[in-house]
Amino acid sequence: MKTKFKIRRSDPLKAEPYWQAYSVEVKEGMTVLDALLKISEGDDPTLSFRRSCRSAICGSCALTINGFPKLACSTQILPIAKETREVTVEPLSNHQVIKDLVVDFTPFWNKMEKVTPFLLPADETRKEWVIKKEDEKAIDRAQKCIMCGSCNAVCNSLDVDPNFIGPAASAKAWRFVGDVREGHRKKRLERLSGEHGVWDCVRCVHCTEYCPKDAAPLEAIERLRAKAIEEGVVENPGAKHVLSLVDSIKRVGRLDEAAMTFKTLGFLRSLGMIPFGLKMEIHGKLPHPIIFLAIEGMKEVKKIYSAVEKRRKKG
Amino acid sequence: MVIHDVIVIGAGLAGMRAAVEAAREGLNVAVVSKVHPVRSHSVAAQGGINAALKETDSWEDHMFDTVKGSDYLADEDAVEVLCREAPADIMELERMGAVFSRDDAGKIAQRPFGGAGYPRTCYLADRTGHGLIHVMYEQLAKKNVYLYDEWHVVEIVVEDKSVRGVIALELLTGKLHRLHSKAVVIATGGYGRLFNTTTNALSSTGDGMALALRAGAPLMDMEFVQFHPTTLKRTGILMTEGARGEGGYLINKDGERFMKRYAPKTLELASRDVISRAEQREIEEGRGVDGCVLLDLRHLGEEKINERLPQIRELSINFAGKDPVREPVPVKPGAHYSMGGIWTDVDGKTPVSGLFAAGECACLSVHGANRLGGNSLLETIVFGRRAGSAAAGFSFENKLRVFPEDALKDTARGIALILNRAEGESASGILKEARDAVEGHCWVFRTEAGLKQGLLEIRKLKERYEGVCVTDRGDGFNTELVTALEAGYILELSEVMLLSALNRTESRGSHFRTDFPERNDREWLKHTLIYKKDGGYDIRYRDVVMTKFKPEERKY
Amino acid sequence: MADLRYAYYPGCASQEITKEANEVTRKVAERLGIELHDMPGANCCGAGLITDYNYELSLALNARIFAQAEGMGMDIMTICSTCLMVMSTANRDLKKDPELLRRINALLSDAGLTYRGTVKVKQLLWVLAQDYGLERLKKAVTRPLDRLNIAPFYGCHSLRPSSALGFDDPQRPWSLEAVIKTLGAQAVEYTGKTKCCGFQADLVALDTAVGMTGMRLLSAKESSATCMVTPCPFCHINLDNYQGMAEKKISKKIDVPVFHLSQIVGLAMGMTPVELGLSRHLVSAEKILTGY
Ligand SMILES: Cc1cc2nc3c(=O)[nH]c(=O)nc-3n(C[C@H](O)[C@H](O)[C@H](O)COP(=O)(O)OP(=O)(O)OC[C@H]3O[C@@H](n4cnc5c(N)ncnc54)[C@H](O)[C@@H]3O)c2cc1C
Ligand code: SF4
Ligand code: SF4
Ligand code: FES
Repeated sequence: MKTKFKIRRSDPLKAEPYWQAYSVEVKEGMTVLDALLKISEGDDPTLSFRRSCRSAICGSCALTINGFPKLACSTQILPIAKETREVTVEPLSNHQVIKDLVVDFTPFWNKMEKVTPFLLPADETRKEWVIKKEDEKAIDRAQKCIMCGSCNAVCNSLDVDPNFIGPAASAKAWRFVGDVREGHRKKRLERLSGEHGVWDCVRCVHCTEYCPKDAAPLEAIERLRAKAIEEGVVENPGAKHVLSLVDSIKRVGRLDEAAMTFKTLGFLRSLGMIPFGLKMEIHGKLPHPIIFLAIEGMKEVKKIYSAVEKRRKKG
Repeated sequence: MVIHDVIVIGAGLAGMRAAVEAAREGLNVAVVSKVHPVRSHSVAAQGGINAALKETDSWEDHMFDTVKGSDYLADEDAVEVLCREAPADIMELERMGAVFSRDDAGKIAQRPFGGAGYPRTCYLADRTGHGLIHVMYEQLAKKNVYLYDEWHVVEIVVEDKSVRGVIALELLTGKLHRLHSKAVVIATGGYGRLFNTTTNALSSTGDGMALALRAGAPLMDMEFVQFHPTTLKRTGILMTEGARGEGGYLINKDGERFMKRYAPKTLELASRDVISRAEQREIEEGRGVDGCVLLDLRHLGEEKINERLPQIRELSINFAGKDPVREPVPVKPGAHYSMGGIWTDVDGKTPVSGLFAAGECACLSVHGANRLGGNSLLETIVFGRRAGSAAAGFSFENKLRVFPEDALKDTARGIALILNRAEGESASGILKEARDAVEGHCWVFRTEAGLKQGLLEIRKLKERYEGVCVTDRGDGFNTELVTALEAGYILELSEVMLLSALNRTESRGSHFRTDFPERNDREWLKHTLIYKKDGGYDIRYRDVVMTKFKPEERKY
Repeated sequence: MADLRYAYYPGCASQEITKEANEVTRKVAERLGIELHDMPGANCCGAGLITDYNYELSLALNARIFAQAEGMGMDIMTICSTCLMVMSTANRDLKKDPELLRRINALLSDAGLTYRGTVKVKQLLWVLAQDYGLERLKKAVTRPLDRLNIAPFYGCHSLRPSSALGFDDPQRPWSLEAVIKTLGAQAVEYTGKTKCCGFQADLVALDTAVGMTGMRLLSAKESSATCMVTPCPFCHINLDNYQGMAEKKISKKIDVPVFHLSQIVGLAMGMTPVELGLSRHLVSAEKILTGY
């Protein structure tokens, strides 16, 4: 089947990126990477793109395909061509383009370096560690990451704040924080809870949705946050906010906005972080902090809290 | 010009392990790699890495299995080092941060692997290479090793039989750089991409071997290439042994389980080379389906496939568009592992002073005529470490020697020639013909006539390559230029492989000569060594080192 | 057609800040003949924040809600995308892993509760687009919204993670557009429709949050939307209440009124702006609604 490929190209020497169309004879089983190789080996050898393993494990070939990030090498053409008639291929978004489909990964690697990407064992001399299956499982998902950059490409926070640590590096960070052998957990969590750290994630779930390896970066972020709170790293707006909801549900079973905002904002105010406009607006629209009605069955909620607490203490 | 104590070419497991070791000695170490380290081919290894860890196992048993598996072409001194040092290296990997899969007691789990008499393969789920490559990359960061990532080495600079450094092309800018050093370690991986059908990454083009040959180091046993029996049609992507281990059938176009004619006892579980040859025979005798045979899993049922072989199913769907639950998957033999490579001793030393090699690009030989699964990852770690340490030792003992004035100019001229040629042939066209020739004549079955024909074709292509040209004249990320350079390496190695295969008039391990179907220990217990000489090649031989075991028939 | 009955879970936001969404949903449901049964004992789903504290607590609190619905013999309908996402994710994990379900039930046992894993969680959008059905909805329209160019804003939690939600296609969603068209209006195509409104960062990284809000609204406006609709009260807070701040952040005038899903359905069924509680919104819809 002849299929139209529309490829977003750019040449650093020419000013504007442009679309170029190619027609490729697609056979059953062909992937987008196969088509790109076919184009570059025939029609147009000047087309640049990264590739290596062609088996979805090296992370070289993540591209924006029909609008969303995918690994070119594991994306079958026929099913998508049938749906949309043509296949568009663009470089990953949220990344600077070098040439055609090749983007600059330097910021990606720099973020990795920021999370001190190696184990700092609690005991350097220990020969063999006993690692329980559940400990292995705790970091197994994050370890599936192939550093393809798809998550960072769709991360909504990164889009507005390029300094945000981002989903990929967060998954990497969890891989160490969650490792039973790690010796500098708290220090790591303190850094990760700082500016541009894990609390800046807006939970848009793009990363987990589009990760081609099911590494679930958002889950790693949630675990990092929970671990930070557990380790007492709570002097930041994110943790305060969480703790106030934990407290609110424990008291009344639901979100007591007035009390919660008060707590989080009180903290922000002490840091001089709330702008005037927000203060006004929040005051304008909040319910009067009268006595907030609790849900029915608060006893049950309290019992659940204490059961969870008990289990946590037992470890 | 930049100066380092040690330069490592290649950032696969072997290269990074070497760099980490050299850096441990406090030296200024750099790694140069044409792809980012975690994109290296090592990342694709699935199965695992061998080591005799248990009390009921021993390095001697591991050694015996390896030597037998090699069809007695391995050098036993080298195999001894490999097997003796394996357990400590595995523990070291764990200390670096790897988490090998565990057994119920929380200790490192081990599973059985083909050709081994004991379950001694450690693994990280079904992505051992991926797990290890990320750990090694972490260590690179920890040790502050300098990384030139996406720099393509185009020349190893040697004068007076001593290495002076390398010249590399920076992909981002298209600039050529001189990197001056006391020692160079080559760790550029295998040459699977001499073939069309291969399990290897697109970057496994054998660069380092060709560069070493040009720099005066000999290549050894290049005729030995392991073929894997179950690779996907067209892409060559590996379908692991697990598919057959769980009870999958291999059938021909008549739906016959043909293995019963070739290996009535072991059937689909016979050794890799036996199955590969059986498949090839079926295909050649017209009982294949579109150049393949079929891997049939349907009788296992959806539930079992999902539970036991989820990866196989995913790969078939994503890469071949076939769902094994519903239809058989076309598979065929594919080039999988390069036993041959740059000749080194157990410290990775080559005959060129200051030049070392480790990993799949090296040949000691620990794999002989046939590698055992799980031994090549081990080789990258054990001999990567040893080469790194030896290169560091060399740097301590030697002064930096002069980087020849003209080296850069000469290299630049060669590249400019390709870039500026107004018209000529495209590299990908030449490559395609070269691979057809190699696959046609130096495949699972080999004959004198075929190999001669192959040589003829490759030599003609080499002449045509002199007129290769590129349409992309830009500087930044010129992947077409890279393909053209790789084509040069591939042609060179193809010729060497064909020559070595033509001369070896016996069948041993992966090398099967239809015209000489028997192993011939009287004449051929020796390694092929090829040197480059006056535009041609000089072929010599070297006896196999035997210390412990006597050759016997290889039967499983 | 079987009568539609749901255990109704409006979510915390719609009981306070965006109460209009809750009130209008009740009215619209009543007119359409969808039975909504209150859950006076339902607790907060945790809005994802409890997951940031302790995953098991989050699962247990959600299992409590599910156990209640199970007792009522009904599936849950919410009008909040975040509640939908949090509950669906918890539900997926509990249903998928019997061992986990057992562990969580053990936490509920002191409170005398068990969840058997039989409940489904839906949101109003899905109920309209599927359970109730577009054809039936069309019959309820008395005043087609043919003069409105509406930007459908899905945001995040009605689409992702699709492994837990499994209703619409996160890449090419259709349900909101389908409802909009059924009501007689035009659905505007624009780049921001499946991106984040910024809400979850409001109190943590306000600048980041409002920046996002602004970008979404602007992309809708630039694609000639005259208003926007969202199935989520949290998105509404940012898109409406913070629109002023967003305008300042991106230094551009936006002025795009934002509706709750229930409000446009109500509008098409002839309800007045007062009945729709539009005065509670910060960005006035008056100019686009003259004549309605
Ligand atoms: C699908 C598959 C599965 C496998 N599974 C197993 C297994 O389970 N167990 C096992 O033991 N073995 C396995 N192997 C074999 C094993 O993976 C390899 O032998 C091993 O990883 C080779 O590692 P290496 O470090 O030598 O080279 P590679 O990992 O190939 O690295 C080569 C490096 O050299 C660089 N390079 C190459 N040319 C240049 C140049 N011109 N300039 C600069 N840099 C250059 C590349 O960028 C790369 O970084 C498998 C192989 C395949 C194909
Ligand atoms: S969930 Fe958080 S980390 Fe993931 S893409 Fe969204 S903002 Fe980024
Ligand atoms: S987490 Fe997933 S999407 Fe992100 S870099 Fe890793 S593999 Fe790619
Ligand atoms: S080429 Fe390696 S992931 Fe696609």
